[in-house]
Amino acid sequence: MTRKVRVVIAKLGLDIHWRGVYLVSQFLKDAGMEVVYLGNQFPEQIVEAALEEDADIVGLSSLSGNHMTLGPKVVRMLGEKGLDHVKVYMGGVMAPDDAAALETEHGIHKVFLPDTPMAKIVEHMYASVGIPRPQPQA
Amino acid sequence: MHDLPALIQKSLQGDKRSTARLISLIERADPAAPFILEQIYPHTGNAYTIGITGPPGAGKSTLVDRLVQAFCGQQYSVGVIAVDPASPFTGGALLGDRVRMKHDRGDRDCFFRSMSAGKAMGGLAGATQDAARVLEASGRQIILIETVGVGQSELDVAKATDTVLVVLTPESGDSVQMMKAGLLEIADVYAINKSDRPGADSLSRALQVMLDRKTMAGGTPCWRPPICLTSASLGQGLPELYGCIWNHHDHLRKTSALEERRKSRLQAELQQKIEAELARVVREKILGEIEAAGWLEELWARKIDPLTAARRIVAAGFAETTGSK
Amino acid sequence: MSAKKNPLFNESGIQQIETDHAAWFETTLGQADRAVEGRFFTHSGIPVKLLFTPADIKDLDYTQDLGFPGQAPFVRGVYPNMYRGRLFTVRQLAGLGAPEDCNLRIKYLLDHGATGVNILFDLPTIRGYNSDDPEAEGNVGACGAAVDSIWDIDAFFKDIDLGKVSTSIVTHLPSTSIVIPGMYFAVAEQRGTPWSRVAGTCQNDFIMETCVGSAPEILPPAASFRLQCDVVEWICKNVPRWNPISYNGYNLREAGTDAVQEVAIAISNAIATAEELIRRGMHIDDFAPRMSFFWDLHNDFFEEIAKCRASRKVWHRIMTERFGAKNQKSLLMRFHVQTAGVTLPATEPYNNIARSALQGLAAVLGGCQSLHIDSYDEAYSAPTEEAALISLRTQQIIQTETGIVNTVDPLAGSYYVEYLTDQMTQRITAAIGQIEDLGGLVKAVESGWLHREISAYNYKYQRSIETGETKVVGVNYQPAEKEACCSIDVFKYPETYTRQKAKLERLRGERDPRKVRECLAVIRDKCHSDENLYPYTIAAVKNLATLGEIEEVFREEFGLWAFPLY
Repeated sequence: MTRKVRVVIAKLGLDIHWRGVYLVSQFLKDAGMEVVYLGNQFPEQIVEAALEEDADIVGLSSLSGNHMTLGPKVVRMLGEKGLDHVKVYMGGVMAPDDAAALETEHGIHKVFLPDTPMAKIVEHMYASVGIPRPQPQA
Repeated sequence: MHDLPALIQKSLQGDKRSTARLISLIERADPAAPFILEQIYPHTGNAYTIGITGPPGAGKSTLVDRLVQAFCGQQYSVGVIAVDPASPFTGGALLGDRVRMKHDRGDRDCFFRSMSAGKAMGGLAGATQDAARVLEASGRQIILIETVGVGQSELDVAKATDTVLVVLTPESGDSVQMMKAGLLEIADVYAINKSDRPGADSLSRALQVMLDRKTMAGGTPCWRPPICLTSASLGQGLPELYGCIWNHHDHLRKTSALEERRKSRLQAELQQKIEAELARVVREKILGEIEAAGWLEELWARKIDPLTAARRIVAAGFAETTGSK
Repeated sequence: MSAKKNPLFNESGIQQIETDHAAWFETTLGQADRAVEGRFFTHSGIPVKLLFTPADIKDLDYTQDLGFPGQAPFVRGVYPNMYRGRLFTVRQLAGLGAPEDCNLRIKYLLDHGATGVNILFDLPTIRGYNSDDPEAEGNVGACGAAVDSIWDIDAFFKDIDLGKVSTSIVTHLPSTSIVIPGMYFAVAEQRGTPWSRVAGTCQNDFIMETCVGSAPEILPPAASFRLQCDVVEWICKNVPRWNPISYNGYNLREAGTDAVQEVAIAISNAIATAEELIRRGMHIDDFAPRMSFFWDLHNDFFEEIAKCRASRKVWHRIMTERFGAKNQKSLLMRFHVQTAGVTLPATEPYNNIARSALQGLAAVLGGCQSLHIDSYDEAYSAPTEEAALISLRTQQIIQTETGIVNTVDPLAGSYYVEYLTDQMTQRITAAIGQIEDLGGLVKAVESGWLHREISAYNYKYQRSIETGETKVVGVNYQPAEKEACCSIDVFKYPETYTRQKAKLERLRGERDPRKVRECLAVIRDKCHSDENLYPYTIAAVKNLATLGEIEEVFREEFGLWAFPLY
C-alpha cells in the first residue's frame, strides 16, 4: 500500500475566510494526499490533531493579522510534543517581511503568499516529505 | 526506521504519538503491521465499540462529539475513528470530521483519528477494526467508529461493532431509499437528529411502523431498537440517546448476545483475513510466474483453455507454497 | 407584460440587419475567425459574440426596459441628474487598534471635510468575542478596531456630536448588529442626542454570519436571520435616519460566486426579510426605503456594468409586482460598491492600481451611489497610508479628469451593454426563482446549498487558473520574474490587547454584576420568544454588559451551527 502524505490543515483562530484554505485542501486531495481539514482552530487543537493524525505536514491559513502570534506558537507547541519532524506551512495575507521572518526566525517551513499556483504547493510538499507523488489513475 | 518494540510498548502505556504512528503503519499495511497486531492483540477484546452511520449531512459528527463529551464526563477514556471516502482517481481524501469536534481546549480524554476509506487493505472494516484495536490496547475503553452510510463497505464497518447507531434527519425521510441502502437493517438504536425541524415526528412514526412489521414477520425480537429524537447542535435529546446506547450495552451484557456478536465478528474476520491472505499469496507467488511459464502462448495457440490453465496454475502454486513452509 | 410601447428598432430594419450580418460573417471573416465563434463567454458564462448589432436587442422597449434616470425601472440610474447632482460618495475605510486611536483618526478626517465615518472592527469584535477572550488571541486590534463595551463606543466618538456625523458601523453579522449599533444609540441617548438625529448604517447580513465567514462557532441560519430582522424592524421604528441593513453581495462574491448569484442571493435575502417583516405587521414602504445593497466590482468590465444596471431593474420589478410598494424610495435600489479584492494578486502589486482603477471606472459607469477602491497592497494587509492615498486619488481622477460623470448612464444604447443587461436581468431572475424553489434563502442555506455552490465555484475557478484558461497578468500570464515585490509597511498595534484587557478589568470592577446578570437573563429568556431582542440588548449594554457576554448568550440559546460542507 502506498504511503500517503498526511496533512492537517486549519484556519488560525477566529479568521473568517474559509474559501482559500478549503480550496487548497481540495487540491491537495486531488494530488493524492490525505487532508485532515479542521476548519477554524487554535494552536492547542491543531497540535493535538497533528499528534493524533500522525501528520507529516501542518498547513495554516491566516488572513486576519494573527500570523505572527499564532503561527510561531504552533511551531513551538509541536516541538514541545516532540513533533519536530512535522513541517509547518503557512498561507494567506501578510507583509513579505513577515513571511520572510516566519521562515527564517520562527521555524515555519514555507510561507505561500496569495496567487501561488497550487501545483507549486503540491510539489513543495511532496519534496519536503520526501516521497514521490502518486500518478493519478484514470 | 523505528524501534518497533519500544513504539508498541509506549503505545500500550497510552502514549498518543506512538499510538498514532502504529495506526499509520497498520493503515498503510507496512511490513511491520503483522508484528504490531500480534503484539497488541492480547490487550484487546474488552472495549465497548459503537458504530455510527447514516446519510451524509445527518449530523453524525456533531452527535459523535456530544457522545464523546458524555462518555468523557463519566470518566471513560474514549477513542474515535472517523472514516471518510477517498478519491477513486488519486487515492487522496478530504477528511472533515474533526471540524465538528467541540471547540474546547483539549481537556477530554479522547483520541480522534480520521481515516480514509481509500487505503483499506482487504476491506475497510478490517482496517478500522485493527485501528480500533490499537486504540483499545493503548487504554481506550469506549471506541466510536463513524462512517458515512453510503456504501456496503461503510455499512460493514458499522456492523462490526457492539452497538450500531443509525442517525437520520427529518429530511432523510425517503424511507424507500434508506431501506434499499440497508441502513435500517443494522440499527440497534436510531437517532432522528435535527428533530427541531418539521418531519421528525412523521419519520419517527414511519420507523415505528416498520419495526412493528419486522416484529410481526420475525417473531418477537429480544431487542427493539429505540428511536431517539435529538438535536445535537441545540443539545436536545442527548441524555436520552446516551441512555439508550447504555441500555443496549446492558442488554448485550445480560443476554449472551455480546459474546455471540463478538465471536461471530471474529469468525467473519478470520474468514476475511484468510481470503485476503489467499489473494496476497496468489498475487505474490502465482501471478508473477504465469508469464514466465509461457501460459499465455499456450492459450493463444489454443492448446489449453483459460479455466483448465487457471486450475493447474493454482494447484501447482499451492503445492509449491505449502511445500515450502 | 403590457403591449409594446416604444421599440427601439422597427421590424423590417432588424430583418435587414440580420441578413446583412449573416452575409458579413460568411464573406468577410476568415475561416479561423468563424471557427472560434461560440467559444467566448463572460465571467458568469453569458455567450459573447464577435459583433453585436441591433438584432441582439431587437425586443428592447425603451420606455419599459430602460426609461429615464430617477424613473422606473431605474436601469439608467436612481437619480434624475445622477453625478451632476451628487457625486458618488468617496468612502475609504478606517479603523485600527484601540477606540482611543480611532477617535483621533476620526477627528482628523472630520476636520478635513469628511462628513461620514466608516468604522471597521477586528475579528474578535466582528465575531462577537471580548478582547480578553482566549479565542481572540492574536487578533485584537488587527485589521480593525476593538470594541468590548459601551465605554469603547463612547471613547470612539469622544468630543464628536453624534447628531452631526453619519457613521457606518461595519458590523457584518446580525448578532453584532444588534449589540454594537445598540451601544452607539445608547451613547447618543446618554449624551442627550435624540435618536431622530442619529444617522448611519450597519451591515447586518445573515449570509455573512452563516456562509461567507467560516467559523468555529456560528449561529444557525434561522436564528441569525431572526436577529437580522429584529435589527431592521427595531431600527426602522426607532432610529429613522439609520440604514439597518446592507445586503452584502460583495463578501459573498469574494467568497466565491459569479455576478449573477451575487445579486440573486442578496435580493433573495431582501425578499426573505420583507416577507418576515410583513408577517410581523409592517408595510413594505415602512422598511424598503432603508434597505441598501453592496456590490463587488470584478474584472469583467462590461458584465459588471450590466450587473449594476440589471440589479436595479430586478429590484424595481420585485418591489412593484411582488410587494406592491408605492413609495418611490422603496423602488429604487441604492448600492455601495467596492472593487474586487480577490482579483488583486500579491505578485507585482503595483499592477493592482490599474486593476482597481478599471473596476472603479465600471462601478461609476454602472451608477453606484458610493465607492471604495481597493488598495494595491490588499494581498498583504490592511492598506498602508500611501496605498490608501492612491485609492483616494484614483477616485478623484475618475470624478474630475475622465469626464464620465457629466452625463447619465453613458453606455446605454450600446448593443453589447444592453444585451448583457438583458441577459443579467433574466439570469438573476432565474437564480432568484431557483432559491425560491429550494424553499427560500434561509432553507437553502440550511441545506448546505450555498456552501456547495461557493465551494464548487472556487474549485472551478482555481482549476481554470491552474490550466491557464483564465489568465492573470504577472501570475500565470507573462509571470513576474521576481517573486517578491517591494517593501510594504503594515500597521501594528500590539498594545491594543493590553489596553483593552485593562479596560475590561476596570469595567468588571465598576459595574453592578447583579444588574448585568439580570439583563443577560432577560435576553436569554427572550431568545425563545417572538419578541424583538433589540430593546433588551440596549438595556444590557447600558448596564455595562460586554459584547462577548451578550454574544455568548446567543451562542448558548440558539446553539451553534456547523455548516454542511460535504
